[in-house]
Amino acid sequence: MPGSLRGSESCSETTGDASFREQFCLRFLRDAQNPDGGWGYRPAGRSGVEPTSWALVALAGLVEFEQARRWGTDWLLATQLPDGSWPAYPGQDEGCWVTPLACLTLHQLGVAPGALTKGIDWLGDAWPGEGSLWQRILQRLSSRPAVTRQNHSLRGWSWTRSTSSWVEPTAYALILLHVVFGSTLPRRLAKRRHLAEAMLYDRMCANGGWNSGNPLDYGAPGEPLIGPTVWALLALQQHAARAENQRSLDWLASACERMSGPSSLALAHICLDIYSRPTRELESVLKRSYATNEFLQSIPALAHAALALDPTRKWLQAGTKGAGRS
Amino acid sequence: MTESTARLSPSFARPHSRVAIRTAKSYEMDLSSLLVETLREFDLPVRGKTVLLKPNFVGPDSSGAVNTHPAVVAAARESFLRLGAAKVLVGDGPALERDTEAIAEAMRLREYLGPLAGSFVDLNLDDVHRVLLRTRASSLCELYLPATVLGADLIVSMPKLKTHHWAGVTLSLKNMFGIVPGSCYGWPKNILHWAGITPALLDINSTVRPHFAIVDGIVGMEGNGPIQGIAKPCGVLVLGDDPVAVDATCTRIMGLLPERVEHLARAGLLLGHLREENIQQLGESIVSSRTPFSVLDAFCHLRSKGANNGRGTPVA
Repeated sequence: MPGSLRGSESCSETTGDASFREQFCLRFLRDAQNPDGGWGYRPAGRSGVEPTSWALVALAGLVEFEQARRWGTDWLLATQLPDGSWPAYPGQDEGCWVTPLACLTLHQLGVAPGALTKGIDWLGDAWPGEGSLWQRILQRLSSRPAVTRQNHSLRGWSWTRSTSSWVEPTAYALILLHVVFGSTLPRRLAKRRHLAEAMLYDRMCANGGWNSGNPLDYGAPGEPLIGPTVWALLALQQHAARAENQRSLDWLASACERMSGPSSLALAHICLDIYSRPTRELESVLKRSYATNEFLQSIPALAHAALALDPTRKWLQAGTKGAGRS
Repeated sequence: MTESTARLSPSFARPHSRVAIRTAKSYEMDLSSLLVETLREFDLPVRGKTVLLKPNFVGPDSSGAVNTHPAVVAAARESFLRLGAAKVLVGDGPALERDTEAIAEAMRLREYLGPLAGSFVDLNLDDVHRVLLRTRASSLCELYLPATVLGADLIVSMPKLKTHHWAGVTLSLKNMFGIVPGSCYGWPKNILHWAGITPALLDINSTVRPHFAIVDGIVGMEGNGPIQGIAKPCGVLVLGDDPVAVDATCTRIMGLLPERVEHLARAGLLLGHLREENIQQLGESIVSSRTPFSVLDAFCHLRSKGANNGRGTPVA
């Protein structure tokens, strides 16, 4: 079981370029697969859509993991709800923020175009709760002073049904639309992309970077975080030359210097590399990190590490697989 | 299962609660002995039990005023083990930062607790179970909650003594927002804000009521808390087995009126004691510990007369 591996022992066996990815991360992921075909957030944890999606994306395209991939895909497809969305865990009856990740996975694997199309259709209809005409009227009538600075008419996607737009779920959806459709979106989705991109720029922190979605709160500037900054930048990579993107990349590069979380470092590495920014040597850093805390046994962190050490970045490239068209 | 089975009873039907205020001037002192001595006074049934310490970990924190200090967490863990607990876990589900390991490393948690794998649980990513909420203050009705929380015999809420720009104060009741898993509800757990902070707090605490609270008030936070405020040295640890009474006492130490903090006022009706006459004070007195906290203008109405000369000091 991967859960019994000790970081220092297993890492010391790996040598050479990309060996941490191939000899450790990918094998760890394969061995952590549950008998039902999915992955939990930790080895032996209950299978969930997010960890399963990341594990499958990390294992995509590798012949030796074909069997694991097939089981995982079956699990993912069985978890899709009739309305096309995915819940966080099977048995839950409402779709949520993991839907674009599941769709991204199916697209990357090049399977089940019908399920992918249903998922994208659901996303197209999944409006957040804020910003509707009714909500704006209520806001205008409210006696409570506005304490955040944001344009509520700009809407992206929410974590759960009918709550507010936030940076990460919005970015996941935009990344999906980019890799599936490239620049030629159906009209309905083009409108949503336009609004969502504007929302992300509206929520950017003053000096670059993003946090979960509060650039200003009670008059105080919000501090950016690495995760949301990475996802927002990946979602906005078609606007790479914009000053906001460049300022955020500057922030991200400097934040990496003082960051030690493996998942954040791996994601930042992917983002900086996509934008052709210089990156630090990652493999030895991740190895050391694993030896210290075993990534807290996090399957998504292992998958992000594997993806960061894979220079092809296929999962972020537009139009590389068969796609649903809604 | 730690899902609360205690009868929800109105304040007048409850026996008096006890809250201890202990002077602790720094994180370098022997906090473990202080905690063991105080915990013995409460005679908690911890022998052979699994204890979950639920600190408030928010993010990297250079001021030392944002997160529950790891020295307090480590001292609590040692104390419960010394009192015979079979297992003491530390777990939190930060609301904004997904990379919990990054937070743990930035606050040097490993230096205090030792290896994190096995002793620290990221509640955001724990397995979950569906739980029907015991009250209907909000429209939530049910939540998915972490298996580690539901499996613990004793839950100890360990917040930092802080003001909060939405709730007025954030203490042991508000700290329980951190058990709601991001894997289901996101970062932040926005569904709780849509349900209303106060109603959601009441429903969560009625369903998974912390058995004990230890508030890190050695250094707190005033002004625009819980993240962007100013460090406020206060020099106390506040402990008790009634989280409402603990929070009410902390609020009074901060120079604020708990009756005017919406969620405390409502929690005082059903979940514990709010009124001073129903709380037996151990250790230091509130008066001797009082350290008035500045608050945002929106919360000036919380200030008790004589606690401060003027208005709060909002952070611009």
